[in-house]
Amino acid sequence: MSEMWINMGPQHPMTHGLWNLRVKIDGEMILDVDPEMGYLHRGIEKISEDRHYNEVITLMDRCCYVAGLAWEHLYIIASEEALHLEAPERALYLRVLCEEFQRLASHLMWYAAFVQDIGLMSPFLYGMRDRDLILDLLQSYTGARMTYEYMRVGGVRSDLPPGFTDRTRKVLDWLNARFVEYDQLCLGSDIFHKRCDGLGILKANDCVAHGVTGPMLRSAGVPRDLRRDRPYAVYDQLEFDIAHADTADVTGRYLVRMEEMRQSLRILRQVVDWLDRHPGPVMADQLPRWLGAPYAPVGNEGYLLKRHYPKGLGFSAVEEPHGEAQAYVVNEGGEHPYRVKFRSPVFANISAARQYLIGYRVADIPPIMGSVDVCVGEVDR
Amino acid sequence: MSTITLYSVAYGLASLLLGALGSILPGAARAAVTNVDVVTGLGVLIFAAILLAASMLNTIVLIWWERKLLGRFMDRRGAMHVGYAGLLQNFADGFKLFRKDTVKPREADALGFFTGPAAYMVTSMIIFGVLPISTGWNSGALPLSLLLALAIFSFAPLFIFVSAWSSNNKYSLMGGMRSAAQMIAYEVPLLLAVVAVVIVSGSFSLTTIVYEQQNYWYWGPLFVALIVFVAAMLAEMERIPFDLPEAEAELVEGWNTEYGGMLFAFFMLADYLRALVGSILVVLLFLGGWTMPSWVPSAATSFPLAGIFWFMLKTYLVFGVFVWIRASLPRVRTDQLLRVGWNRMIPLSLLAVFLAAVLVTVKCVWPFGCVPSMGV
Repeated sequence: MSEMWINMGPQHPMTHGLWNLRVKIDGEMILDVDPEMGYLHRGIEKISEDRHYNEVITLMDRCCYVAGLAWEHLYIIASEEALHLEAPERALYLRVLCEEFQRLASHLMWYAAFVQDIGLMSPFLYGMRDRDLILDLLQSYTGARMTYEYMRVGGVRSDLPPGFTDRTRKVLDWLNARFVEYDQLCLGSDIFHKRCDGLGILKANDCVAHGVTGPMLRSAGVPRDLRRDRPYAVYDQLEFDIAHADTADVTGRYLVRMEEMRQSLRILRQVVDWLDRHPGPVMADQLPRWLGAPYAPVGNEGYLLKRHYPKGLGFSAVEEPHGEAQAYVVNEGGEHPYRVKFRSPVFANISAARQYLIGYRVADIPPIMGSVDVCVGEVDR
Repeated sequence: MSTITLYSVAYGLASLLLGALGSILPGAARAAVTNVDVVTGLGVLIFAAILLAASMLNTIVLIWWERKLLGRFMDRRGAMHVGYAGLLQNFADGFKLFRKDTVKPREADALGFFTGPAAYMVTSMIIFGVLPISTGWNSGALPLSLLLALAIFSFAPLFIFVSAWSSNNKYSLMGGMRSAAQMIAYEVPLLLAVVAVVIVSGSFSLTTIVYEQQNYWYWGPLFVALIVFVAAMLAEMERIPFDLPEAEAELVEGWNTEYGGMLFAFFMLADYLRALVGSILVVLLFLGGWTMPSWVPSAATSFPLAGIFWFMLKTYLVFGVFVWIRASLPRVRTDQLLRVGWNRMIPLSLLAVFLAAVLVTVKCVWPFGCVPSMGV
């Protein structure tokens, strides 16, 4: 066969979303790749400029369909800094609870998609089954399974329902036992190692050069995690280890994500214990009226408050399940943010595709791209 | 041994039909209709129709069996809604595919695009004509039935490649290339494993091979051959872990990407027909066919159609093992598959042939017993 370009996407089982990987192949060998993104662009940053601060949260859920709460958290931290507000401590713990649940759900989704990419059929359903338990928990206190709209500027929308912490502990125990099974199905299989060892290598300096973050960076031997290196919310009061591996390949990313899930269980246990012991308010008291009730007609008092509200800039960086997400919110006074800008970790991770795909085979594309954990919603925004 | 055979049933049915037809016709037409050659001809046709219906029905039940079993492996229940425990689900799916439009890409080559699936389907069904299901339930004593079955079985890569190439799609073409390379590479160990069986049984006739297993089934003494045969058969059937011609993760659907509706159903059915043939061959060559060991109480082997019962039970269990493998293993890569095929499977199959030769020389192996036709 002569050299030819094939389009893997925008509709292709490998993409896990809506993007296009153009691949130049010679037989089974990859000569060149060219990732094309932008099929899912909705202009979320521009739309945000026309929304109340709390209405932007709705858009954040649409940024990443498997990690909506992590993106809410990212935006909330930045906008609270811009608005000079502080949430009560219980709300901060609830946000950490949300983010770690979301990390588990996202990594389980990744596990399901990844094993499907290398042809393992049963663990796909195991991953989805166990993710459902977490979605059930999230549904019990946010009311939704995918688009939560749970966090608010100055706190969170509601407190936990009764009996929630006990249910959570049961789920955590169940998951802890299941992870052993996951590893047996993958690491215990010779074919898995044949398909994954030494593939898609991206060394630490290449990661830094391309802005690659998250599990891909940690699998290259760099234990960088914003939860520890630039603590936000209450992560500095929690105990956990940073998962990392040295192989910089697909197996390394698998190991990192599995270990991260175990660490998430550990964090969740501490958070749930804390929440049991410390009841309290989940919203700040001193909120301007226009922030608390965005749809209510703005009265005299609110108008004045709005006009005299101080201006500010907010920046946040959150260790999202896929990598380091960053947000920048400009408050020029008023109900709407003047400018909102996000940094998507997956965008950088995909953009480095040329570095970790060329030289491998066509059959290696699904495991390698699967180990990147693509979420196109946040790439295109 | 009962005297009922499939052919006698078909012949009886034909003579009954034609006799009834002749009794209402005038003299000259009656003589023409009840002519012995006409009755025989119709008998053969009915025989073929029964075989066809039985093989298709079994294929559809096999798909149901796979779906249910795979569902259990995956902690779900499989098809549940159409018919009892989803038994009729495959018929519903089949009718859905039947109703769909047949779409041919504009640039595809019509001749190859349409004949490929048809030929693939037909060659897969022909094999059932030579497989003995039980005593008397075959098309007659073909002395080389094993050879014929494997020869027809190996037509498939040609038709797959033809339909892949004429689809005019890059994914189809890559899938077709992989399929051809894989099937040709695994044809060799498959045949060498069969040679081991042939050496021990001394016959190419499947019926004889089954009767040669009266002292012991071949899976024990010819264990290496069994392993090689099952692995090569998995590759020939294109099932996980060797399903890379249609690896959906990178090749969309491989060589049948452009096929939809009934043409896709042809491929799907032919795939399962071949899976059924593979399971049947394992049962015939290594698991004693329709016979049971002598320690099984005679009540369990002497009821009507006992041979077919035990045969189908074994076939479905063997296929269950294939499903088990599918549920728990990842897919290998083309180069790894070919390397395993040429570097591991062929030496292993040669070892199997050598062990078979040793077995024939020493004639008796503890704890299995003696080779019957070797006159010990």
